[in-house]
Amino acid sequence: MIEVIVNGKRTEIPAGLNVKEAISALEYRQEGFALALNGTFVALSTYESTKIHDNDSLEILAPVQGG
Amino acid sequence: MTKQMEIHNNTWEIGGKTLSSRLLIGSALYPSPANMEDAIKISGSQIVTVALRRQAAGNTESKGGNDFWNIIKSLGIEVLPNTAGCHSAKEAITTARMAREVFGTNWIKLEVIGDQYNLQPDPFETVKAAEVLIKEGFEVFPYTTDDLVVAKRLADVGCKILMPWGSMIGSGKGLMNPDNLMAIRKQFPNLQLVVDAGIGKPSHATQAMELGYDGVLLNSAIALAQDPVKMADAFRVAVEAGRLGYEAGVMQKREFASPSTPTVGTPFWHQFKD
Repeated sequence: MIEVIVNGKRTEIPAGLNVKEAISALEYRQEGFALALNGTFVALSTYESTKIHDNDSLEILAPVQGG
Repeated sequence: MTKQMEIHNNTWEIGGKTLSSRLLIGSALYPSPANMEDAIKISGSQIVTVALRRQAAGNTESKGGNDFWNIIKSLGIEVLPNTAGCHSAKEAITTARMAREVFGTNWIKLEVIGDQYNLQPDPFETVKAAEVLIKEGFEVFPYTTDDLVVAKRLADVGCKILMPWGSMIGSGKGLMNPDNLMAIRKQFPNLQLVVDAGIGKPSHATQAMELGYDGVLLNSAIALAQDPVKMADAFRVAVEAGRLGYEAGVMQKREFASPSTPTVGTPFWHQFKD
């Protein structure tokens, strides 16, 4: 297992996962959001080729009301 | 088509779209999603601002967000995602890229806050972010102060739209520096100018439009009204009135009184005196 920070909260996921697999492991739905890894946007098309490492920080954002 | 219909059929272009409404409306702070939907509809607005925030796992807490987004999509109008809450160009650029993927638009309301007390935009980080985003194909709607030099810098990096504040976000104080706003209008006759933030009542929106601004963006003034739906209707009329007034050409101010009723043929002209 490795430790990652997801939306500000520290949690554990299995080692060696890519972004798509990590999203499943974290029990997020598979659509309707965008993701940043360590402050950098990760495009949906690159989820499977982007690996998650120990102490990585993920921001998973979805639409909300805004002004 | 009657003359009246022609007058009310004016369209304008912003961000590559041709629209009829010059009122841009926010989607936050309404008493309920249904109230938001009714207010947006009656406002006639064709652009609604939205945002991105952290999503909860398990698709439970985020259900409200899903419902919200489904309502917005069902309205069939343009969405303008914002970068609210960002305090650096890097944060804003990342948020803009995320918004483009989620919302499927290259429009971004660029907000980079420089001071938490008055939520004043950071001009240096805003210009820096705008330059990067424009090179990446974004249509940047930068939220800025009414500073003419900052406006120039934003135009220099390629912004075709500028959104100076009327006053502080959510303050409802109206146009604090109409002279500054007018200076920006005069310096940039070919850019699309939208007053964003600080509008509190319909007359503020009318004033902005009478200055020759192309549009007005507001949220709190409608959402925090006692009757948001009625207030949305009031702003629809106010923006339209201000624009028509600007197009009609306001009379010159005079330093003396001048009767509007003809003096020729006035009865009893100076005939009776006590």
